[in-house]
Amino acid sequence: MTQFVLAAVLGVLFAVGTFLVLRRDVVRVIWGAIVLGQAANVYLVTMGGLSGSAPILAHGAEGAGEGAASAGGVTDPLVQALVLTAIVIGLGTTAFALVLTYRVREEHGTIDLLELGRGTAEHGAEVTEPDVDAEARTSGESRTATDDETRDRTGDGGSRAATDGGARTAGTVRERGGRAGGTPATGASGTAEPPTGGGEGDG
Amino acid sequence: MAEQVVIAPLVVALATAITTLFVRPVPRVERAVSLAGALAYLGAVGWLVVAVADGTLVYQLSGWPAPFGITLVADALSTLLLGLAAVVSLASVVFATRFIAAAAERAPYHPLYHFMIVGVTGSFLTGDLFNLFVWFEVMLLSSYVLVVFYSGPEHTHAALVYVVLNLFGSAVMLLAIGGLYAVTGTLNMADMARRLADPGAFGIDPAPVLGLAALLFAVFALKAGFVPFQFWVPAAYRAAPAPVAAVLAGVVKKVGVYAIVRLWFTVFAAAALPGELALPGLAGDSVLAFFGPVLFVVAAASILLGGIGALSRETFDGVLAHSSIGQIGFVALPLGVAASAPPEVRALGVAAALVYALNHGLAKSILFLASGAIERSVGTVRFAGLGGLADRRPLLSVAALAGALALIGIPPLSGFFGKLLVFDAAGRAGAILGGGSAGGAGGALALGISLLGAILTIAYFTRAWNRGFWGPQSEAVRASTRPTVLVAVVAVLAGSLLVVGIAFEPVMAAANAAADAALDRGAYVDAVDPGVAGG
Repeated sequence: MTQFVLAAVLGVLFAVGTFLVLRRDVVRVIWGAIVLGQAANVYLVTMGGLSGSAPILAHGAEGAGEGAASAGGVTDPLVQALVLTAIVIGLGTTAFALVLTYRVREEHGTIDLLELGRGTAEHGAEVTEPDVDAEARTSGESRTATDDETRDRTGDGGSRAATDGGARTAGTVRERGGRAGGTPATGASGTAEPPTGGGEGDG
Repeated sequence: MAEQVVIAPLVVALATAITTLFVRPVPRVERAVSLAGALAYLGAVGWLVVAVADGTLVYQLSGWPAPFGITLVADALSTLLLGLAAVVSLASVVFATRFIAAAAERAPYHPLYHFMIVGVTGSFLTGDLFNLFVWFEVMLLSSYVLVVFYSGPEHTHAALVYVVLNLFGSAVMLLAIGGLYAVTGTLNMADMARRLADPGAFGIDPAPVLGLAALLFAVFALKAGFVPFQFWVPAAYRAAPAPVAAVLAGVVKKVGVYAIVRLWFTVFAAAALPGELALPGLAGDSVLAFFGPVLFVVAAASILLGGIGALSRETFDGVLAHSSIGQIGFVALPLGVAASAPPEVRALGVAAALVYALNHGLAKSILFLASGAIERSVGTVRFAGLGGLADRRPLLSVAALAGALALIGIPPLSGFFGKLLVFDAAGRAGAILGGGSAGGAGGALALGISLLGAILTIAYFTRAWNRGFWGPQSEAVRASTRPTVLVAVVAVLAGSLLVVGIAFEPVMAAANAAADAALDRGAYVDAVDPGVAGG
């Protein structure tokens, strides 16, 4: 009986996870990845065998030995140790993924994947080399407006603060994952503002 | 007590990571510690290489005997790739002390970097499947943060793709590991190889191993950036700071390749393929042989797609990132030939893949570091803003050219031997992929793809050279500064290409030893000695 219930639960978990991963909303995609990770954990537990008692042995008792689980002694404790490790790792990656989602929203003003993709296309996937002093040197002749929007790689917080400001303003008007039309709010408007310095920083 | 040296690189990298975490408030000290740590890491790896020359070393963590505890195994294959990691890592750290200087006070670059190296080291050394998963996660978690280091719009976007894909990959890897544990009853790689070689004696049914191996293959292909899973590569490499991109392309990619070599050629080669699952017309009857054509197709697609993608890039680092996809195909191609080849060709294929991986690791990190130096010096790596760099910054340009020529395979540089061996292996694909009906068809196909890939490599590097380094000097190039330390790092690494190319004998010997270590299952199992299981 347990096998059937667990098999059904696993099937539902994988279905839900896959469904969520295919959504447009980044938060749902992350949720999907979490659900899939947890489904893998449940699956891992079942791989140790379902029969047997708790693997607690009296002090000094003979070890459970290999194959004891199938022999009906105690359940295999190894898979449970593995799952504990996997859960801890999952916690770390999930926390990071959620923070990253927040950061994506700050930078792009949206967490809708289609709009994110469009935003990147508009900026040109090739645009990355923004450098404030270089820009001053080249007098911008070879640069387009989109180049200027991307922030510096030198770690100078100035232009990033400006970008953040623009993104936040845009973000407040936009529903999370909203599908309303209109151009995706990128940090573009931020370039019009003078760098205020400081920057929120991320670490 | 000699086996303790196995954990030396791990301990050094971990100690460096933790120490840099504590001295972060003082950037100068942090950089000094980071640099000292990278040097010590090189020393520890060197010590390990010397120690392993006498034979495989095995360290059982906490003294638990093999199948029960976690085993660390240092053999010729592990140490070869550790050596690459140590050299590239040292160059990258020296580069980063200048390159990241401004931002280092705000973001913990150095601790993260060394935690990534811890993960890489652990992945190369572990002899336990689940432990491999854990080291992968250590490596990935740090690399997530390093990819999003500048946290601008494209960086967050690239990191999001990278993180979500790897979350997915981790779940799939757990599934495969759980399945393999259920089938074989062990997670120790040596024990698994032993059991798969003689399933009857251990009462296991090895049929599901094929599917589970396919799941694992997808995960490793994702890490290595093989073609169906290559789409995260360009954005992530370009988003990461240059010294990190150098390590991601030079070393972290090779972790996926290493995992494939170790697990498929050492472990899964032992598993017999159930007769009804064999692909028609293909030689070989092990799970490894089944993956030969898979690797071959993946490699061919990577070579072509990466090469064509690199042709139309508008930035130097964009060319390099796409080139990485193509070059990793050149590593996979001889592996594919070796997988379905008879044993005498197998060692040649694996050695070719390893030599090419070493060459690519060195050359691509030179190029990514050169790209970072150009960006710092000129302010852009867009070809539109470059031009005339060869006149203005000759040393940097020559170093970048050396990296490019090494990837193309011009004789005095190390790349020549890499390409030569890959072509040699490709030429022997005939007997395998032709399936007997047309003897030379497979070989001709493999050679044709390699040749096309090599021509594409020449084409995209020629284009990059013409647009970025030759021609009239642009305003930006004329106004460029001289990043002395950065150029020195790139130049020294470029010199190492020449040294490896001229004094190639020891490298070839190391690669052959590594290939033998990967293929000699009996020696691997004996070294780890999981015999106490159940006894």
